Amino acid sequence: MANFDITGILKSVEEQTKALAQQQFKQYTQQAVGDVKDWLQKSKDDLKRWIEELAKGEIDKDEFQSLVQGQIDVAQMRALKQAGLAEAQIESFVNGVIDIVVNAAFAAIP
Amino acid sequence: MNTNRFRNLTAISAFLFLAGCSLIAHYDQVAYEHATSAKVDTLALMDKATGSYDGHQKEVEALVIELNKAYEYDRGRSLNKITVAQWDVLRDPNRNLVGGFLKMWKTKGSLSATFIAEKKLQIADGFDQIIALESGKLKPTEVKQ
Repeated sequence: MANFDITGILKSVEEQTKALAQQQFKQYTQQAVGDVKDWLQKSKDDLKRWIEELAKGEIDKDEFQSLVQGQIDVAQMRALKQAGLAEAQIESFVNGVIDIVVNAAFAAIP
Repeated sequence: MNTNRFRNLTAISAFLFLAGCSLIAHYDQVAYEHATSAKVDTLALMDKATGSYDGHQKEVEALVIELNKAYEYDRGRSLNKITVAQWDVLRDPNRNLVGGFLKMWKTKGSLSATFIAEKKLQIADGFDQIIALESGKLKPTEVKQ
C-alpha cells in the first residue's frame, strides 16, 4: 500500500480553504456593505425630494406616507436578498472546498 | 479572518458536505423570466393610474393573475422561502408596493403623475431585489452533484 503524507494533504487543504474563504467572503461582504451604503444615500435623497413635492402640493399626505412606508418595504426585500445571497455564497464556498479536497487527494497519489 | 470564524465556516462546510444538501434553491430561468416580465407589465400599467381605476380594472386583474402565477411558481420550489417572502412583501395590499399601489388606485379612483413616477422607482427597486437574488443563486453548472 502506498505511503501518503496525510498531514501534508490536510495542511494543504486547510491553507487553500482559508485562502478561498478570505477571497469569497471578503468579496461578498464588500458588495453587501456597498449595497447598503448606496441605498442609504438614495433614501436620503428620495426623502428630501418627497418633502419638497408634498410642500408644493404635487403629492398628498397619503401618497407621501405610502412612499415612506414603501421605502421600508423595499429595505425588507433588500435584507431578504442579502440573506439569500449569503446562503448561495456558503454553498459556493462548500463546492470550492470539495474541489480543494479532491484535487489535494489526487495530487498526493504517486 | 479570525480563527473562530474560519473554524465555523469549516464546520458548516463539513456538515453540508456530509449531508450533501443546499441551503437555498438553485437558479431557475423560468422564475427569472416571471419576475422580469411582471416588472415590465407592472410598471407599464402604473403609467395608466392617472386615469380611472374602473377604466383599467380588467388590466389590473390580469396583472394580479400574472403576479400570482409568478408567486405560486416560486412557492412550489423547494428551499425557496426567502424569494417567497420577497413576493409576499411586494404583493401585499396592506403594504406599500404593488399590492398597496393597486389598492390605493382603487380607493382613490386615480393617482397623481408625480406619485406614480416616484412609486414606479420604488416598485422597480422591489422587483430588482427578487431578480438579483434569483441571479445570485447557483447556476446548474456551478452545482456539485
